[in-house]
This record gives sequence, structure tokens and C-alpha cells, in this order.
Amino acid sequence: MDKLLVSPSPHLHAKTSTTSLMRDVVIAMLPAVVVSVLFYGWSELLIFGVSVASCVLLEYLITKYLLKRPCTVGDWSAAVTGVLLALNLPATTPWWVVLIGAIVAIGVAKMTFGGIGQNLFNPAIAGRVFLLISFPTYMTDWTRPQGFIGNGLDAMTGATPLGMVKEGGISAVADLDYLDMLFHNIGGSAGELSALAILAGFVYLLVRRVIKPYITLSILATVAIFSGIFWAVNPAEYTGPLFNLLTGGILLGSVFMATDYVTSPMSNLGGVIFGVGIGVLTMLIRYFGAYPEGVSFAILIMNSMVPLINKWCHSRKYGRA
Amino acid sequence: MMKTFSIGGIHPADSKISKDCRIEVLPLPSKVFISMAQHLGAPAVPVVKAGDKVKAGQVIAEPAGFISAYVHSSVSGTVKSVGPRKDIAGNNMVHVEIDVEGDEWADGIDLSDKLVTEIPEDVKAILEKIKLNGVVGLGGATFPAHVKLCPPPGKKAECLILNGAECEPYLTSDYRIMLERSREIVVGAAIMKHVLGGCRTVIGIEENKPEAIRVMSEAVAELQKSAKGYEGISVMSLKKKYPQGGEKQLIDAVMGRQVKSMGLPIDVGAVVQNVATSLAVYEAVQKNMPLVTNVLTVTGDCLPADRQHNYKFRIGMPLSYVAEYAGGVPEQAAKIISGGPMMGKAIANPDAATVKGSSSLLYLTAAQTVRQAESACIRCGKCADACPMGLEPFLLNKYARNGMMDELEENAVQDCIECGCCLYSCPANIPLLDIIRIAKGDVIRIIRGRAAQKK
Repeated sequence: MDKLLVSPSPHLHAKTSTTSLMRDVVIAMLPAVVVSVLFYGWSELLIFGVSVASCVLLEYLITKYLLKRPCTVGDWSAAVTGVLLALNLPATTPWWVVLIGAIVAIGVAKMTFGGIGQNLFNPAIAGRVFLLISFPTYMTDWTRPQGFIGNGLDAMTGATPLGMVKEGGISAVADLDYLDMLFHNIGGSAGELSALAILAGFVYLLVRRVIKPYITLSILATVAIFSGIFWAVNPAEYTGPLFNLLTGGILLGSVFMATDYVTSPMSNLGGVIFGVGIGVLTMLIRYFGAYPEGVSFAILIMNSMVPLINKWCHSRKYGRA
Repeated sequence: MMKTFSIGGIHPADSKISKDCRIEVLPLPSKVFISMAQHLGAPAVPVVKAGDKVKAGQVIAEPAGFISAYVHSSVSGTVKSVGPRKDIAGNNMVHVEIDVEGDEWADGIDLSDKLVTEIPEDVKAILEKIKLNGVVGLGGATFPAHVKLCPPPGKKAECLILNGAECEPYLTSDYRIMLERSREIVVGAAIMKHVLGGCRTVIGIEENKPEAIRVMSEAVAELQKSAKGYEGISVMSLKKKYPQGGEKQLIDAVMGRQVKSMGLPIDVGAVVQNVATSLAVYEAVQKNMPLVTNVLTVTGDCLPADRQHNYKFRIGMPLSYVAEYAGGVPEQAAKIISGGPMMGKAIANPDAATVKGSSSLLYLTAAQTVRQAESACIRCGKCADACPMGLEPFLLNKYARNGMMDELEENAVQDCIECGCCLYSCPANIPLLDIIRIAKGDVIRIIRGRAAQKK
């Protein structure tokens, strides 16, 4: 010991870092990843590979050659976007469509705003919505590819439950098995396959204190209450709470996408307002919109409200009640 | 449900490695250097000069204002010099240098360890003794104790809170005195209670110190049975959470009340004193013993178990003397802290002298304490969740870096208690408190300037 370090307090740190938090998010998504690969096989694995590799590589190239700044891929945030984007795509998506999605997610939605911490919209959702609008055929092709297990389940192909309701009314989904949906949903994006896998990730994120439950729970509660009221009034016309909670991207969106630090409000109250907004917009789109599913649009719209919500919602201060 | 404060807070590992080390008395060094700035407020004015003979416990400096305190010699000997010497931060401050000769104490000091439980009646005389014996708050801020015990006219103390939280990791000096000097602490509490008009008195201790809770409760029960003036004193166990020992947080935890911004605890009827201060009050009032000793912890993960210590020291002993006596500075130590790791000061000058408020020599390794490079804010909100004042450090950081003083004031930067929870929690390693601390100083200057203009 030759020289003493001198710096202002505090002298200890929690040792939580951006990297450790992002790595935890990736770990939390693993159950959903594993389930989708098991049921959708090699083509799903390819999508994950292309998505993660292109997101990470793009961020590397952009920081190094375009922005000429220290490279930030080491913080795992590009990997999070990659996994999340893949979870948001049908298992049949061609690799080049995935690549375009990654370019929009990282290149446009994230890096043009200044990289991590600066983006207004969730990169993965921006990528997904861009693809949904640009390549509707690919993005709504719900054919189930050959998986490693569960080949007998592909009785219904070509539509998600939400799509079936939009097409053929509520009677089209009269004989859905909810228990089945809990473990491996009938059709949809990779990440929409298993509600349990997503909930396992949710529990992990809560236990590791990566996220707080307010946003997720307020979205789910809003969806349940909103659909519950409509269903109670007219069950022949409107789908019920259980159906709306277990189908489509509501779980994936509320656990992994709406809780994105950068694009969600800072305060707990703000988080609840944000969540209620997403829930209401999702249900409005599902019941009355042109698209069968509205979670992505709802999150994007509410992302744009975050600066306003942050402006009006502050934390409760000591001694200033 | 155990009580704690209602906003924010963090849970660092408590690392009380030295908690089972009994208090040992440090032998006298050949020289002490007694600082004139041992308390919050104006430095004291020396009343001795080179060549003077002094006894231990003799006044060597007088207060230089209302918020200031007497300073006494901690040893007997000859004053060698009165002049500038570097303090722990390396700044010059007037010190009285004394060559130690024998160990002779000034007249009128009761050196016996006989417990005196009878509480004097005359409040004025008690306050005078506390003041003359140089008692200051030993919880960190070293605010002169008698000032806190004289509520301004129109304000009345409803609850005296004794702070035994010791929420800073590593520190164990308060814990040890609660185990070894419990009855003296309770007598001190009863004296302060009497001064404040007999209000309710709560000794707040965190649940991670069950022994202290037990011993202090027993001391209270014993004194309530055997002597007069001890009614209304109780021990409250608190949920472990940092910064429980923050004055504002402790008031919230114990009384469920919050001190208004820029207000004082007495505004909500609270007076908070540290357990070590209570011990000093006992010594001053019952034994006429000035505040010339205190207990400090020598600890750190890089010290083996047999080199962890709690020492009773005389003020003015150089820190380097304490370190040497304890076996030297460990090889792996990269930083030495005086105080806790959350709010303590990094020692720039290990040769500086101990002061009344010295509470530790804490050795931290580079792996523990070197800060990581700052990266972009990811807006996770962990700083806001951690802030026990309910502030939004991420926002204050942004305003401060852009010099937005009005916004800083609107968002209550002046309420920051500098506990360090924000910086501790930030995953992007943003030096939040460093920046907020500077902004807070600027904003408080603006507020004071405005108030001065109005007058």
C-alpha cells in the first residue's frame, strides 16, 4: 500500500450493473425460448440465432464505425433486444425478414436515438411492428413447423385464437382448451406459446428485483376488468377475461416489453398509469380494431406517452405531504 | 410488524465482523494533537499556549459562538505547540499539541466506575455541565448536545429518541457500548428526558443486534425498578434497513412523523441523540467527566479475525498510532475510512488526529471500493426507489449537469441527506451523490441568499 484512495462517500456499491440486469432479463426469457424451440424445432432456433447475432453485430458496427463511440454490446442489452424480437415473430419467418427486423430495432429504434437509455420506443417492438406492417403475410403465417416434441398438437394451423375471433366471431373459439393454452398455446409468435414459461420469467425478474410488478399487474388487471365488463354484458359478442389473458402477446408484452426500463415511466404511479393505458388500448384494438391483436401497438403508443407521464408523476417525498 | 422508515432505503450486507470484540483501552501515546474543530459549527478558540502544563479533562479551548463547543485535554502533560496541523482530509486546522507526562486528571472528575443513578433536579445545572464538558452528538454530525436539548421557545419535545440503530455496515462501537455500558446509557437517557420535561423516550435498535436489544431492555427494567425518573423509557426493535440511523428516518420509524423540508426534528416534537452521546451525557453530568474519550472500531474484510478491535481512545491520538497499535495497515487496504462505508470520510492523511466523533478505522480493498466506469443511465429508477427522502436522483443528476437551479430546488435537492443510497444502487455507476452534493450546496446558498435579501 503506497497511496491511499480518497473519494467522496459512499465507499461501497451494490455491484448490480447494467450488464447483470440485462443478463438477468435474458435468463428470465430462457424458459420461453426453450419451450418455443422444443415445439417449433430447427427453424425457431435459426430465428433466435439470426435475431440475436444481427442485433449484437449491428450495435457493434454502428458504435464502432458510425458513431465512433465505445462499444456497448458488452452490456447485453442488444442481446435482450435480439431474443425479444425473436420471441415476437412467427416460427416460419424467413431469416432475411428477421434481419430487417433487427436493423429496424437496433439501427433505427435504438441507435439513432443515441443507444441504450436514450430510445423512446422499445426496439424489439418497433422492429416487430415494422415487420407486421411491411410483411403482413409472413407475420401472420401461423403454420407450425416440425418441432422436437409435441407433433400431435398441430391440429389447428393458420390462425391464432385472436385471429379466429376476428374472422369468425366468438363461436370459432368455443372449444378452446385453456389448460392447453397455459402450457403450450395454440398458435402465435414463438413467445406466445406458453403462458407458464413467461410467468416463470416474471417470477424470476421479481425475485432478482430486476423489475417491480406494478406495470405488468396493472396491464393484466386492466385487460381482465375491461374484458370482464364487456363479456358480462354480452358473452355472445365479446371474449372473456381468461381468454384475453392467455391468448396473444399480452403476457409476453406485459412481462418483458412494457417493463423495459428505458421506455417505461420512472415512478410506481406512472407505471400503473402506463399499464392501464396499455391494457385499455390492447382491448380496444382486440374488440374494435382492424388487427386481431393490439399489444404491440398499445405499448408503442404508451411508450410515446412516457415523457408526459414522467413529467406529472413524481415519487412521494419525505416531509412534503 | 416491526417498524422502520417508510420511504426508500437499501439493504447492504451488515458486515459487523468486530461485533464480538470487547472494548479495549488504548495505552497513552507520547503525544496527542487535539483539534479545535471537533464539532459542527465554529472551531473552538484555544486558551492554552506552548509551555503550559495541562491535566487530563482540563479546558484547553472555548466555544467561539452559540453553535460551538468546549474542548478539553485528553491527557496530562505540557503543551508543545498551538498551531495548524493537517486533519484527515489534509486541510489545515489549529491543533493543540501536548507531550504526554503521566496520567493526572483535573480536579472534580469522578474516575470511579460506580454507577450513579440519581438524576439531579436542576435542569439549568445539567445543561451547564453538558455544555462545559464539551458534549457533542456522536452519531456523526457532532452537533453540540446542549443546543439540541434546549428546544426554542414555543416548541416542546414529545419524544426523545436514542439512536442505537448503527445502520452503517462494519461499525460496532455503538453496539459494544450498548452491551458494556448499557446502564450508563440509560441513565444518560433519563437525564436528557428530565431536561426535556419528562417526555416519552425510545431507544431504537435494529433487529440485527438482538443482544443489544436484550441487554438494553434489561438495563431499563432494572433501573426502573431501583431508581426514580426512569419511567417512560422503552426499547424499540426496528427492521434492519439503511439509513435507519438517519435522524429524519429514525423519527419516521419511531414516531411515524416526518420533519418538513429545511425544518428541525423539534418541529415534530422529536429530539434524537445517539447512544454514545447518551453515555457522554452520563459521564458529563454524573461524573463531571468531559468528553475526551470515545470508542472506535478497527475493522475490514482484509483484517484477520484476531485483528478486529473496538478501542476506547483518548481524543487527539493520531490515527496512525491507533493503526500501528492494532498491528499496522493491512497490505490489501486501498482505502481507509473514518466512519461507516456509506457516509464516512476517506482518510487522506493517516497521520491526522482522532476527534470526538471518530468512530472507526475501516480498511477497504480495491475490489470493494474502486468505482467502476460510468455508463449511460438506463432509467431503471433504482436510485429513486432507494432514496429515503423520496427524491429522484436521476432527475437531479440531469438538472445539475445542466445547471438548472430552479428545477433542482423544485425537485428538493436541498432535502438530500447524502446517505449514498442512490450511488450505491446505480447499475450504471453514475456518480449521482457526487453531483447532487455539489448541486445541493449551490441551491442551499441560493435559498439562504434569498432569505437574507428578504430581511
